[in-house]
Amino acid sequence: MSDSRPLRAAVIGAGRMGMIHGHLLSIYPETEVVGFVDLNTRLSDHLASQGLRAPLYPTVEALFSAATPAAVFVCTPTHTHLPVIRECLARRVHLFVEKPLATTRTDAEAILRLATEAQVVHAAGYVYAHLPIVQAAHDLLKRGALGDLLRFTAHAYVSEVFGPKRGWFFQREQAGGGVVANMASHLLFILGWFFGPIRRAIASTRSHASTIDDSAQALLTFASGVTGLLDTSWSMPGAQMLDYGLTIEGRQGTLVLCRDRILLHLLSPAGGYDAGWSQIHASDLPADTAFDVSPHIGGEAFYRQLHSFVEACRTGTLPFCSLEEACNTQRMIDAIYTSAASGAPVEVA
Amino acid sequence: MSGLVLELRPPESQHYVSWRERLETVARYSDPDEVHALCEKAYSLGARAVLTVFDHTIREALAAYQRWRDIEVWAVVPNMFAFIRDLTDRGLVGAARARFMRLTPSQMMRTGFRAMLDLGGIRRQDLAVGTMLVCEMEFAALRGLRVTRLFLHPQVTEIALAGGAADVFMAVAAMAERLGIGAGLVTHNPLRAVEVLGSDLRRFARVVTPCNSKGYKMFPNRDLCETLFRSDPARFIAAEVTAGGTLEPEAALAHTRALGLAGAMLDFRTAEAAFRGRTIPRLWP
Repeated sequence: MSDSRPLRAAVIGAGRMGMIHGHLLSIYPETEVVGFVDLNTRLSDHLASQGLRAPLYPTVEALFSAATPAAVFVCTPTHTHLPVIRECLARRVHLFVEKPLATTRTDAEAILRLATEAQVVHAAGYVYAHLPIVQAAHDLLKRGALGDLLRFTAHAYVSEVFGPKRGWFFQREQAGGGVVANMASHLLFILGWFFGPIRRAIASTRSHASTIDDSAQALLTFASGVTGLLDTSWSMPGAQMLDYGLTIEGRQGTLVLCRDRILLHLLSPAGGYDAGWSQIHASDLPADTAFDVSPHIGGEAFYRQLHSFVEACRTGTLPFCSLEEACNTQRMIDAIYTSAASGAPVEVA
Repeated sequence: MSGLVLELRPPESQHYVSWRERLETVARYSDPDEVHALCEKAYSLGARAVLTVFDHTIREALAAYQRWRDIEVWAVVPNMFAFIRDLTDRGLVGAARARFMRLTPSQMMRTGFRAMLDLGGIRRQDLAVGTMLVCEMEFAALRGLRVTRLFLHPQVTEIALAGGAADVFMAVAAMAERLGIGAGLVTHNPLRAVEVLGSDLRRFARVVTPCNSKGYKMFPNRDLCETLFRSDPARFIAAEVTAGGTLEPEAALAHTRALGLAGAMLDFRTAEAAFRGRTIPRLWP
């Protein structure tokens, strides 16, 4: 496929994430927004006042009656993903789904099956994986800089929930869970991308502020043999934006992934780095972003995420952030909740 | 000439190398005296203005600091992270009400009157109308401070730039003119700002945007940004001068000065390190 025309895309769900994707699609040189879909059609004035002037349709059916998008960005509340995607894929359009993929593993796997059968390009919106520094960490691991990977520790904290909360995002049935499904899932995606399929989880969760999980601790084992501990909470003071960190130990070295840098300790030279300590800062990595839609949250990762999806659509290949990878994340989420509920380890088939 | 400008933000909204560094920094700067001390360190390095997103601590510290130092305060409004959090917790009406209740009775009257004039825009959830209403309420709550410039929070700025919503920026410029202060922009996308605003960029006397010798955070790239800076250097103030702390402050600022820019931002880490090390008696001669 070597089509040089802009990718015609529609955004389903005109909430906060839908608007961000709408803006990105508007500013990206090789995409065009052909429509929004939202049950609340009064949003059209609000969208227009932001410069988002593509028509707003009340239903997916109305969108497809009036326009012919080649791709859809599904940004509706999580519990609606499966029916919305089923309706969209009846037209065989490329598919981008905001995270998490679904409220349950069963639904997530059904979504993946639909997308695979439709033979479309698909991707999930785990935006932090597109940060250049995260990709640099992935490259180092794949190049074997740390040798055999052994273990990790990880955290994902934010100051979000200190009492009862309203809205679909804080309802288990609609959001699929609390901090694990909706905040820590960013880090779970990265863990799955780095270490492969999940095999086992032992976890506990707590609801101390809201009615869903506000914090969790999980011991995860991957098929690659890597084991590690994730600690997460959205009731930690001091972090208006998601604060995450990951320390990975291998036989030949240790990698500490921070927000804007990697601290690397190697026992012997590898991956172009000397033995001992090295620091790789985001400013040392090649820049390939034309617009920063959200300097403090996600930054250039949003633009890179879109670029990766558009390129995948052009070439007909699956990006690294495909729904297959997102299903691995969903299996982790599911295993953590199942283990926390039963108090027993969960083996993931 | 603006020279050095101290950049303040609620410490919770910054990035840190480790969780421990975060907690230590957030705890430390929750004390207005520590913010006050930081301002004084920056002052000794040559900073004569503070660009800030406000929280209660910063407002209190700056109010005290302005009593004994003649320093400009450049306000970035609204505090979008706090506003988004409020939106989630209280809904749009609740978030607006919380800001309204911080005003004095006369400010409430003025804000209420202005809102009445914009009822259509409020009903339509017009971005410019809603943004300005929140900006005006947050700005009004800064009573006691001598604010000399007004900036729109970058989270709104970048969205409005992406959408080409020039009316949002015109509303900010008009608000600044009405208040008798200058207007400015904080953005990571200065070329897009030129594209959207055209000649109206002149209404924004200061544009704060990344500038460093590594091209870090300079979108779409360093060459295009520097070409823009050279075309109108007195308008631009360099942010991210040390490229996330990877460049020595003295060399980083020399690069900015060589481009002829109006000034440079000094983040808290650079200010603390330069003051502690005393390696640079005055960062911006």
